[in-house]
Amino acid sequence: MSEDLSRRDLFSKVARGTVLAALAGGAGFLVKKANGQVVWQVNAARCINSRLGEVGVEACNLCTTECVVALSAVRAVNEYSKCGRCNICPAYFNITSAVNEQGQPSEKLCPRDAIARKPIGKADPEDPANNFYEYIIDEEKCDGCGKCVMQCKDPLGLGSITLRVRYDKCVNCNSCTISRACPQHALVQLPVEEALQQSVLKRTG
Amino acid sequence: MQYRHVQLIGGKGTAPDRFAATLRGIAVDAHGQLYAAGDSEIKVFDAAGRLKKRWRTTRPVLSAAVAGDGAVYAGQLRQIEIFDGDGKLVNTWRDERLLGRVTAIGFTKDGVLAGDAADRAIRRFDRSGKFVNNIGKDNRVNGLLIPNGVVDFAVDEHDTIYAANPGKHRVERYSPGGELLGHIGRFDGVDPAGFTGCCNPTNVAVRKGVFTTEKAGPRVKAYDFAGNLIAVIAADVFDANCKNMSIAADARGRVYVADTVKLAIFVFEPVNV
Repeated sequence: MSEDLSRRDLFSKVARGTVLAALAGGAGFLVKKANGQVVWQVNAARCINSRLGEVGVEACNLCTTECVVALSAVRAVNEYSKCGRCNICPAYFNITSAVNEQGQPSEKLCPRDAIARKPIGKADPEDPANNFYEYIIDEEKCDGCGKCVMQCKDPLGLGSITLRVRYDKCVNCNSCTISRACPQHALVQLPVEEALQQSVLKRTG
Repeated sequence: MQYRHVQLIGGKGTAPDRFAATLRGIAVDAHGQLYAAGDSEIKVFDAAGRLKKRWRTTRPVLSAAVAGDGAVYAGQLRQIEIFDGDGKLVNTWRDERLLGRVTAIGFTKDGVLAGDAADRAIRRFDRSGKFVNNIGKDNRVNGLLIPNGVVDFAVDEHDTIYAANPGKHRVERYSPGGELLGHIGRFDGVDPAGFTGCCNPTNVAVRKGVFTTEKAGPRVKAYDFAGNLIAVIAADVFDANCKNMSIAADARGRVYVADTVKLAIFVFEPVNV
């Protein structure tokens, strides 16, 4: 990667890649489900893992335990345009673990090691604390436990990670078992057209 | 050293001495008067916490600072408004490029410094408003890492600039010319001597030591100039959701902290001093 590539250019390229990947994935399933159907989605403003004002509480993992789909159809998604690319990301590291010789937390947060990172932009080889990182969630590993979502939200983080129903995994039950279990009523049904629009808006904002 | 909470100024509300929606920046002058930047107003409180005067700013105000001559500088989006001590507007510096989002203002002996969060840099101007140089921008390779959207700094009596670099969990020292002189601070999620979370400290003040505020959870600490923790001044009194808490310290050793959710200024003083 060229050292001359600006951070903005880099983020722009990453965002465009994300859009293409999304359109090739979940959004395609939405199009197939059009014609007035409804689909389930997580309302981030209701979900206790992402809802603002909820601090100091354990992450809720009902999306993991209640979904009828193996490994859950709900996955954590990182919206790159909001991500701070922090060196010490509380969604990536267990920030209360012991500090290692590099000055970083010695443990990762994700119990399934579903988040990877790589330095982006101009890397500072003499000072790793001076680097920006791209955080990539491996959705094939993620089971939607919400731990990273809880750690990413404001004020600790910027709230770039939220839980999302992945339409290529959801079997669209008439009575979603997660929605029945969720005390926050955070699983809501949306018309396909609206869900599709949200998907596009989310990735171009 | 220990501190105790001695005073609460402001609060949320519509009364003249309260803040309706925002409390972004605070500063103290040589006489112990407190200047608070909130909503679209500058409010001036005396040492007893009584509102003495207030005046409007053209745009929502993000920061405030008081120069040695009593002039009050109010940082905003794309401009700085300069008032005399009675609140009369005497000048406005506008610059779309250099003053994108002015979240901190300070003074050297011969110039004015403005923290531009839009470009993650500290701008140095002469007293007439002519740009001189950047500080912290692209330092080494990436400059100030501020995911929280606020550039904050303080200046000591020797014109050394102490800039919060939260993404690196440090307070960095710069010369007015932009040379990085060193830093204090390190990441640690358990030891209170370190800075925790993704990005702390968010704000800094300097007066016979270095004072910092952190978010998630909100915390105020004092360090000596070598970076040794002197005191955890306060932690539990603030709203757990507040961040980017502006901080100031006066000649009496009092420390002022703006709670950005409660919209109140907490005043602490050292015990047994």
